[in-house]
Amino acid sequence: MKEEITLSLDSYLSFRLEDETFAVNVGKVLEILEVPHLTKVPRSPEYLRGVINLRGTVLPVIDTRVKFGLSATRFTVDTCVVVLNINVENDKLVIGALVDAVQEVLEIGEDQIKPSPSLGSKYQSEFIRGMVKMEEQFIMLLNIDRVFSTDELTVVKESSGDLTH
Amino acid sequence: MDHLKAVFVEEATDLIGELEKSLLALGQTINSPAIEQVFRVMHTLKGNSAMFGFDAMSECTHQLETVYDLVRTDRMDFSEAILDVTLASVDHLRHLLTDAGLADARLRANHVRLLDQIGALSQLSAPAEIPPEAHPSPVRTGYLVFRPHPAIMVNGSNLLFLLDELHALGDCRVNAHSRHIPPLEELSVETCYIHWDAYLATAASEASIREVFLFVEDVSDLEIHWVSEGNLLVNEQFVAHLEEQYLTGQEVNIKELQAYVNQLLAIIREKTLAQYPGAKEVDPRGQRETGAVSTIRVASDKLDDLMNLVSELLTTQARLNLIAADSAQSELVAVAENIEKISRQLSDSTFSICLVPLESMLTRFQRLVRDLSAELGKEVRFAAEGTDTELDKTLIESLTDPLLHIFRNSIDHGIENPEVRMAGGKPRQGTITLKASYAGNHVLIQIQDDGAGLDQEKIRAKAVSKGLVPAGAVLNEKEVCDLIFQPGFSTAEKVTGVSGRGVGMDVVRRKIADVRGEVSVTSQRYVGTTITLKLPLTISIIDGLLVRIADTHFVIPLAVVDKCYETNHALLTNTFSNLVVLDGQQVPFFYLRTEFDVPENGPAIEQMVVVRHEGRRIGLTVDAIVGEYQAVLKPLGRLYKHLSILSGATILGDGTVALVVDTGQLIRECSPPVLQMAR
Repeated sequence: MKEEITLSLDSYLSFRLEDETFAVNVGKVLEILEVPHLTKVPRSPEYLRGVINLRGTVLPVIDTRVKFGLSATRFTVDTCVVVLNINVENDKLVIGALVDAVQEVLEIGEDQIKPSPSLGSKYQSEFIRGMVKMEEQFIMLLNIDRVFSTDELTVVKESSGDLTH
Repeated sequence: MDHLKAVFVEEATDLIGELEKSLLALGQTINSPAIEQVFRVMHTLKGNSAMFGFDAMSECTHQLETVYDLVRTDRMDFSEAILDVTLASVDHLRHLLTDAGLADARLRANHVRLLDQIGALSQLSAPAEIPPEAHPSPVRTGYLVFRPHPAIMVNGSNLLFLLDELHALGDCRVNAHSRHIPPLEELSVETCYIHWDAYLATAASEASIREVFLFVEDVSDLEIHWVSEGNLLVNEQFVAHLEEQYLTGQEVNIKELQAYVNQLLAIIREKTLAQYPGAKEVDPRGQRETGAVSTIRVASDKLDDLMNLVSELLTTQARLNLIAADSAQSELVAVAENIEKISRQLSDSTFSICLVPLESMLTRFQRLVRDLSAELGKEVRFAAEGTDTELDKTLIESLTDPLLHIFRNSIDHGIENPEVRMAGGKPRQGTITLKASYAGNHVLIQIQDDGAGLDQEKIRAKAVSKGLVPAGAVLNEKEVCDLIFQPGFSTAEKVTGVSGRGVGMDVVRRKIADVRGEVSVTSQRYVGTTITLKLPLTISIIDGLLVRIADTHFVIPLAVVDKCYETNHALLTNTFSNLVVLDGQQVPFFYLRTEFDVPENGPAIEQMVVVRHEGRRIGLTVDAIVGEYQAVLKPLGRLYKHLSILSGATILGDGTVALVVDTGQLIRECSPPVLQMAR
């Protein structure tokens, strides 16, 4: 029930990666941080930039640019960590996503959202919920659960096996 | 009512657990305290379950109670058959707790079948009913005065025999009163001048006392006064009083005596109360439990919360220390130190609360050994040593599955069939021993069987056929044994319901590694196999050595650190063999900057932390050693779960994150492939 309410919110947080603007539903956003001290974790894939201390819990930080096929994030004053609450395989997971800049919160009605063109888009359509045209600019609404889903994040799939045999 | 019912279910679960334990003890040696215990538990369960409407359960326990009552009163011999049925019932009772109304058809069928079996058991006993023994009356102390008439001796009675008979009734003190004996010249040998009084503590009734004097009834007077409950003659003070009075030669005044006794009893009662406060409240159930430590039950969630708070406190305290160290205020430093001391004590005692003795999981193993050996037609005895060894509660939970698996393997692959054992000159019955002990910061758990041992040739052949090792690989005994931990390895010729599906020991090793433990195996052909688990005492807080590589901090568990050295950067990088000479010994090392993909330009003087790994010393290079650090282990989360070289992260006083290294795994992963193959 609660889930439905958060998903039906019409507010979206927009952020920038390189020159393109993306947006996620604010129901998914827990907070926005300046980039704190990042602890690099050795032997982890490039898109995992490291871990930070979020009030006593260890939070993994994902380089969203790498996820989207861009070069790794170079830290500027605008670089932010967006703390997201995502659902992965019926499990809640809190992650931090590095973005080049956070822009604004937009009110977008369901009727304004157009389906993303399946042809000509460089992003797989399953990651994009839809597109919105605002002031001569297209904003891509992300299906954040899919973008950061575990299958795409972890390179080594955990081999399954149990002790019950 | 629902709340009470929940309490009942919880209690019943405990009781059933207790029951199972006693039953398994009975399976090893039959002793009457265990039978009494089973009987009592059945009785309690019967009463409680009936009260809360668990009728099926009450019915079942009632029948069982009858059986155990027969055994208890020696009207029936305790047999394996009884034990089997009772154990089956134990499982059934557990099910009944969740399905009181027998809604499940299978459960209902099982219920009927069990009741029949139990009924059959009680029929077995000799139906001859022994009349219930008269309830023995409690011991009382009485004062007797026996005055024979002077003519009593005329009919030839020997009065001393009567007194002997009186002694046979209980504790007795007889005093003869001879004041009336005349001077010798007046004495008539046929006249009795003496009378006696006696103090008798006996359970016999007044009638039976009078029976002693039955034949002299007509020629004597007998007075009996009951003065007290219990045996007063064991009271030294009372006896002393009697002797004193006897020496005065005065006749006993019964009223005075009674008054004295009452006074004495009051004193005794006061003394007992002072010695055992609450002694009066002790009920029979309480007496049985004397010696047990007084405990309270706490939901494990609450303990987890407490543990988390303590962890938070330690992290915050580290931060406070850092601030205090930077500040010029000496008062702040003093307070910070005090808080450090207190929080360390607090964390120590919180850990000890969260420790659970290994014994708590023993019943399951005992049961597994019993059931499985019967199923496989083997005879196996289960023994346990050091079961008071305590482990973190969460550790115990994550240990159960791996241990059960090891037990299954031991029974299935290890212990041979009785015939094979006999042929090999071993006792028919195999033995599996669980040994637990402390070893420094670790707990060692060994599962030892006296079975066939690992077949080196078979393991090697299997590993080669599965492509785990190249055909010509040179492996020593230990390396061959270690092959059983490889994924996809299984030597069982046929797949039984028990083991041999190839997911086994590798999962055990992984599960144990998850809690920062290690598994190893030693085996001797035809003699037996020992599997050793080495586990950390706690899994949430570790004492570590804080080191730095570039700008990342790492924590190396102090338990594995052997020694630290300073080394020259050039010496480390210009080597082919990755060996360095320390204290005159060649030590292999790993250059962590390379292993961790940190761009190469370490300081000219680097630190070498030498750690122990599987009996060898191995060096790990770091830029700098910061110091000792008590690290609160935090999970890295599922995104990093494939990263086995780290066991977690911890938050430093300045708020940054340090990574906790699992050195065993790190060394394993960094080892060149040849070495890995041999593992």
